Amino acid sequence: MQVFKLFLKILRKKTAVALIYFAVFITLIIAMTYTNNQTAVFEQKRLNICVFDEDDTPESRALSALIAKENDIISLENDRDVLLDALYYEQADYILTVRRGYAEKLGSGSADSLFDNMYMHDSYATAYMEQYLNEYVRTVRGYLAAGKSQDEAVGAAADAVSAKTDVSIAAEESRQSALSEKAALYFRYLPYILISTLMNVMCPVLLAITRKDVRFRTNCSGLPPTRGTMQIFAGSAIFVSITWLLFAVIGCAINGSLSSSELWLALLNSSVFLLFSAALTVFVASFNPETGKINILTQIISLGMCFLCGVFVEQPLLGEKVLRAARFLPAYWYIKVTRMLDGSEVYQRNTVITAILMELGFAAVTAILTVLIRRLKYSRSGISVSA
Amino acid sequence: MKQSVVKIENLVKRYGDLIALDHFSLDIREGEIFGLLGPNGSGKTTTINCLLALLSFDKGDIEIFGKKMTPTSYEIKQEIGIIMQNVAVFDELTVYENIDYFCGLYISDREKRKQYVEEAIQFVGLDEFRKFRPKKLSGGLLRRLNIACGIAHKPKLIILDEPTVAVDPQSRNRILEGIAELNRNGATVIYTSHYMEEVEQLCTRIAIMDRGRKIAEGTTDELKRMICNTETITIEALALTDEIVKTVSELPHVYDTAYDGTKFTVFCSGGKHNLLRILGVLQEHSVSIGRVFSERPTLNDVFLEITGKALRDKGE
Repeated sequence: MQVFKLFLKILRKKTAVALIYFAVFITLIIAMTYTNNQTAVFEQKRLNICVFDEDDTPESRALSALIAKENDIISLENDRDVLLDALYYEQADYILTVRRGYAEKLGSGSADSLFDNMYMHDSYATAYMEQYLNEYVRTVRGYLAAGKSQDEAVGAAADAVSAKTDVSIAAEESRQSALSEKAALYFRYLPYILISTLMNVMCPVLLAITRKDVRFRTNCSGLPPTRGTMQIFAGSAIFVSITWLLFAVIGCAINGSLSSSELWLALLNSSVFLLFSAALTVFVASFNPETGKINILTQIISLGMCFLCGVFVEQPLLGEKVLRAARFLPAYWYIKVTRMLDGSEVYQRNTVITAILMELGFAAVTAILTVLIRRLKYSRSGISVSA
Repeated sequence: MKQSVVKIENLVKRYGDLIALDHFSLDIREGEIFGLLGPNGSGKTTTINCLLALLSFDKGDIEIFGKKMTPTSYEIKQEIGIIMQNVAVFDELTVYENIDYFCGLYISDREKRKQYVEEAIQFVGLDEFRKFRPKKLSGGLLRRLNIACGIAHKPKLIILDEPTVAVDPQSRNRILEGIAELNRNGATVIYTSHYMEEVEQLCTRIAIMDRGRKIAEGTTDELKRMICNTETITIEALALTDEIVKTVSELPHVYDTAYDGTKFTVFCSGGKHNLLRILGVLQEHSVSIGRVFSERPTLNDVFLEITGKALRDKGE
């Protein structure tokens, strides 16, 4: 069991790196899970506006009334220090003074010196109110230019700027699943974490053990290469199992209950995807990449696959062409199952089985490709034995 | 006669159109330090790789300890120690762990292995570096670690493939002394190198390789006897005339001369008192001379004469 022990020994030397990855990924995944669970509802915010009407005409009163519709009007003493304090302590978001002669200037089409205002620089409330007032004045001038009377123009402009666009955020409202919402999100992000962890930790260990010169030396010994390979396989299997167990326990803890069949299916789905991730790691290692480039490769593969397959963006929001291409990647099928388990899609037993089999197929194909590449490499170099 | 340890017969290895080994044969006896000498690309490492069944070959037979060597001859491999040209150790393990790992591939008994590892560490003088990782070791120390990993299991046959490449003179001497000691302890050694002085100093028998073929084999003295040159005389002399050079060239046993304006080199083949005769000619012509050297041929001369002049020219 010398090679097996070597695998574990080198893995142990990389424990610090592995633990950093685990800690970062677990923190990341839990943070993503817990920050992404707010009910997606759009709600318009009301600002605190203080209005001083120096003009006191029907036009200026109409503007005040319009502002009051969508914001809260607050009363403040018309004293510079009081107003600045109100802005500073965020009692008021914007202080508007409708200047004397507002109605007259508006009627003549002038837009100069209609208002005085006090505000906090660079606040979104200021930007919003400035835009709102400009739009209102521009609309009134537009109606006046179109031949409407001043009363009609003010009324029409008020209607125009009050027009609302209904905002709704895509949300899975029909969701009905025993898998908790947080656990569903956790399992959704898992492919990225599994690929990243396995590739970043296991790939350097495999590269160290299968480095050409030490492999030659090992092949010169009395250890049959098949036995050496089996020992590497056993070491990898232990690491992969521990990784899965760790993430599975966290998944169960996030879900809270162990009794739902959806949870167990999600665990099965993740274990099959883990097999693919392990096969992918061995596949990448068979190309002997430089150790420093493993992280870059990992990011390209994991992020690329996850973005294409709907890990970070919901599958229904991805384009048809993207989804068509994503079908050739295992993460697509993983997400397909996850969406059925969390109630985002109607649960279909056959589809779940097909998807899991597809993931297994990808793992098998990757493993076969790895074997073929290794054989090709050895036959090219004329090596008669390989570990 | 001692028993044959390695027997190679008519080994042929091709890389496409290139013939790396051309009907190469060898017979190495127990207790020998056998040198494989040849320039880079002559086929030394290919021979070693075929010998260890790391490389498949096109034709020929290899026997080690009287048994046919195949990739699955694990019982033979158990008795072989290999020290490759490149340092083949794990950067992630310490000196002790590296030796322990490679020794463990042969020795499963933990106590015995511990003892062997300790002995190997002492043998190569890495005691104070046992907890060091390879990256912290100098080039010479790394080579010693490489050797320790190859010999810790006390093999009967040790193969060293250019173990002193890029090693400082102090470490080189230590390595050569170590190899001689391993041989004294009973191991048969195959030593490949393109450093002729090393091979001459260390090996009991030598095979000279060129272009995948064995072009000569024997002890150092036997090889030296194969060549025409027996003595090279160099004399520092100024203003030699063509007539003087011609007179010396016509002396008995002189087969070649060279004069570059300051150094007069005379190549002799056999005979005695060559130096006295040459000095006599110079004295007759009142030539003032500086330092005088008389050298016996080295393996370098053997190699140059055989590969550079005789055999290669014949083949071409």
